[in-house]
Amino acid sequence: MPRPPRSFFLCLALLSGSAWSATFSVAVSDAAGKPLEGAVVTVSVAGAAKVAPAGTMAEMTQQNRQFAPRTLVVQAGTSVHFPNLDTVRHHVYSFSPVKPFELKLYAGTPAAPVLFDKPGIAVLGCNIHDRMTGWIAVVETPYFAKSDAAGHARIEVPDGEHLVRVSHPQQADGAVFERRMRAAPLAVRLAFTPDP
Amino acid sequence: MPTFGAMVGGVRHVVARHLHRRIVAVFLGLLLLVQAASFFAIRHGIEANARRDIDAGMKTGEALLRRLLAQNAQQLREAARLLAADYGFRAAIAVGDASTLTDALQNQAERIGADVAVFTDPRGAPVAATMADSRTVLSMLAADAKGDPAMRGDTGLQAHEGRAYQMVTVPVKAPTLIGQVSMGFPLAATLPADLRTLSSLGVFLLARAPGGTWQPLAIAGADAPDTTLRAVIDRDPAVASAEIGGESTALHLAPLGRNGEREIAALLTRSIDAAVAPYRELQIVLVVITLAGVLVFALGTFFTARRITRPINALAESAARLASGDYASPVPSAGADEVGHLARSFESMRVGIRERDAEIRRLAYWDSLTGLPNREQFRQLVKDRLVIAQRSGDPCSVMMLDIDRFKQVNDVLGHGFGDRLLGAIATRLQGGVLREGDTLARLGGDKFVVCMPRAGVDAAMSVAERLCAALQLLITLDEHTVDVSAGVGIASFPEHAATADLLLGRAELAMYSAKAKQSGITVYHPALDSSSESSLSLLSELRAAIDEGQLRLFLQPKFSLASGDASGAEALVRWQHPRRGLLGPGEFIPFAEQTGFIREITGWMVEKSAAKYALLRDRGLDLKIAVNLSTRDLMDLRLADKLERTLARAGLEPSALGLEITESAMMDDPERALATLQRLDAMGHTLSVDDFGTGYSSLAYLKRLPLHQLKIDRSFVMGMETDRADLKIVRSTIDLAHNLGYSVVAEGVETAQTLAILRALKCEEAQGFFMAKPMFEDAFGAWFDQWSKPQTRLRTEFAELM
Repeated sequence: MPRPPRSFFLCLALLSGSAWSATFSVAVSDAAGKPLEGAVVTVSVAGAAKVAPAGTMAEMTQQNRQFAPRTLVVQAGTSVHFPNLDTVRHHVYSFSPVKPFELKLYAGTPAAPVLFDKPGIAVLGCNIHDRMTGWIAVVETPYFAKSDAAGHARIEVPDGEHLVRVSHPQQADGAVFERRMRAAPLAVRLAFTPDP
Repeated sequence: MPTFGAMVGGVRHVVARHLHRRIVAVFLGLLLLVQAASFFAIRHGIEANARRDIDAGMKTGEALLRRLLAQNAQQLREAARLLAADYGFRAAIAVGDASTLTDALQNQAERIGADVAVFTDPRGAPVAATMADSRTVLSMLAADAKGDPAMRGDTGLQAHEGRAYQMVTVPVKAPTLIGQVSMGFPLAATLPADLRTLSSLGVFLLARAPGGTWQPLAIAGADAPDTTLRAVIDRDPAVASAEIGGESTALHLAPLGRNGEREIAALLTRSIDAAVAPYRELQIVLVVITLAGVLVFALGTFFTARRITRPINALAESAARLASGDYASPVPSAGADEVGHLARSFESMRVGIRERDAEIRRLAYWDSLTGLPNREQFRQLVKDRLVIAQRSGDPCSVMMLDIDRFKQVNDVLGHGFGDRLLGAIATRLQGGVLREGDTLARLGGDKFVVCMPRAGVDAAMSVAERLCAALQLLITLDEHTVDVSAGVGIASFPEHAATADLLLGRAELAMYSAKAKQSGITVYHPALDSSSESSLSLLSELRAAIDEGQLRLFLQPKFSLASGDASGAEALVRWQHPRRGLLGPGEFIPFAEQTGFIREITGWMVEKSAAKYALLRDRGLDLKIAVNLSTRDLMDLRLADKLERTLARAGLEPSALGLEITESAMMDDPERALATLQRLDAMGHTLSVDDFGTGYSSLAYLKRLPLHQLKIDRSFVMGMETDRADLKIVRSTIDLAHNLGYSVVAEGVETAQTLAILRALKCEEAQGFFMAKPMFEDAFGAWFDQWSKPQTRLRTEFAELM
């Protein structure tokens, strides 16, 4: 696969907001300029807890022989359940260093969730269904969002200047957009084109 | 020298032997030529076809090989893909350490039968490999990566360490791409085996480093190239064919791939002999068909040629029969074809030849004019008669006739008349004159001949007389009346000749003698024949007579009737023969005339007469001497010259010598005689005609002659006294001569009365026993001195007649 050149396109627009909170509204597009879904947007706020409080749970189901959602963003320390909504069994695994695990052939919801305590991206597969692929992005900030089908993501943050990161879990080389800035509408164009 | 018959026989033999074979040989040769041409054309076609088959097979084989390799690679790839999807393997790769990873690779490679396996990250960097020598692995990977995909196809073919590999690379996903596994499989021996099964081709893989030579790649379990093929590979495998292991082998070098370092190619081999083998069988069948065709054709041609040559041989045999003179056997006709046509032509030729042969025989043996046998047949007949005569002891005579003056008849009345006259004469001769058994023939010209078996000279003589009598009867033809006479010669077997030819020759000789003497019938005697033994001796004796002075000059005086004095003399010759005594002219002059010796005698006479004249003149006597000239002398163109010379030597004028010529001497060639006489007259000689009245010369001819004198023949003069007719002839002749301006001499005067009559008839001169006999020259002088004129008186009975 050809490696796209690193390039960033930044559009800033000053918007008025409340003094104690501000909203990062990010529009993510791919290398071709099309809205990019599933991009992960995080804002690192000084002083905010990096690890989620114990007992924080999340869920990634398997339905119709697919992971749903395909991309799940969680704060480090989040336990993720993998309920199987299909009638067939799945064998979910990940060899990613962030969290290698395997849930051997099961049906329904496995008893124990999988704790993701290190930041990074875990690629999930099913040993029965090679076509099933899912991503879990583990971040160290409570301020994060995932772009919707229109490529939009909104994050409410305290007022002030913060580090904004935009990336896509399928982006193999982990190319990201990073900028320290105050909250403002932001358009990010990633040098990445998702697989169709 | 071969006879014609033998030659025809030879031709027939050659025809029989050679035409027959030649036809067979030519047709067989042509057939063989055509067969050979088609055989070689087919052979060439077969070889070209086989070559095309081989080439096509090579191309198919190459495609097949690529297909097999690609199929193999695909199978390997599928197998590798399955292995790469193995969860345990992926787990080992994803989480394992390097040695675990290597073990996993080793394990998977062993499972699938690969020699080598290597894992690379998604970017292609090697992570782990089954081989310790990572450089080797790297080079293989690099080769694979750099290999020209177009050339390489999907075969993944690699050469390494002298071995052939197929390299396949499959992704490892967990579930996204985490890297690739490449696996190298040694090429299995099943590949060449499959190729051989499918296409009868042998395959060897070769590799070549840049600038290097081709090297064979080993395939485990498959045959390595043998030494001869190895040698070809070392030299240059890109040739169309070579001798491999004792077999002619087609080669095809198919490039299969190229990587950064090496070219890889497949060398396909195919035994040409094996490829051509089916065609060889076809060729053998062709050869068999050809041979069978030649055999059948040879038999067919042989019998056809026989059908042609057999009638030709029959014709050749017919021709040989014709050549040998057998015109009786018809030529067998043979069908309606060309040979039959030829046979019919032969047949018509045979009929034509037979007719012409009969005609030729008729012409050869029969005289066409008279229908009598001709000379050839007559000669044969005489031969046969002589054989019979010899056996029985009988004589056999031959009589030959020559018609007198036939030439003149021809000249005056034309040849057509002459021919009819001959026919009439033949009829006359046959008309009852001949005896039973006598055969008349015509020898040509105006000569006839009669063969008379059992007839001696006397019998022949009587026949001859009857014959002459028959001839003398006048013949009237086309309103012309012709008086025919002939000279007849007779010769008789065995008296005169022992053979037919000699007998004929002697009869002819006798005939010529008869004509010369105008004596009607002459029987052969040896003196006539200048070639006979006695004649030869007579001739030599005559010669001796002149040389040795045996000839004697006699003179007979002539008297002037007016004066009664001697006026001249006629020179005569006698031969004082040493054994036979004195011989008269009749004994040797005819012979001398026949042989031509008469010219010598005439020369001698002229010389002697001239000498005598001179002698007498010296005594005061002017007596002209007359010398007789013969036919031979008249025909001698040098006669005048010789006379002139002789007289000049003696110092005499030509008038001193008179010349006497017989009528018959002139008649043999009147024109030539005339020319000679004119010449002599011009010289001044006195010319007189001897024996006037006995010959047949016409007055028209006599008139032209430069004559001065006529000499009346003694036969008339002697009969004058008793025969009034002779007297009338003498008187008329004298009158005629005088009227023509000639003087007249009468010879044969034997009585005083004769002399008196002649004087009364105004004859100028006379000669005869009454006055003087011929006398030896030496006696002449004495005679002259004692000579006295005789006194004569004409009797009254004659005086009345005057």
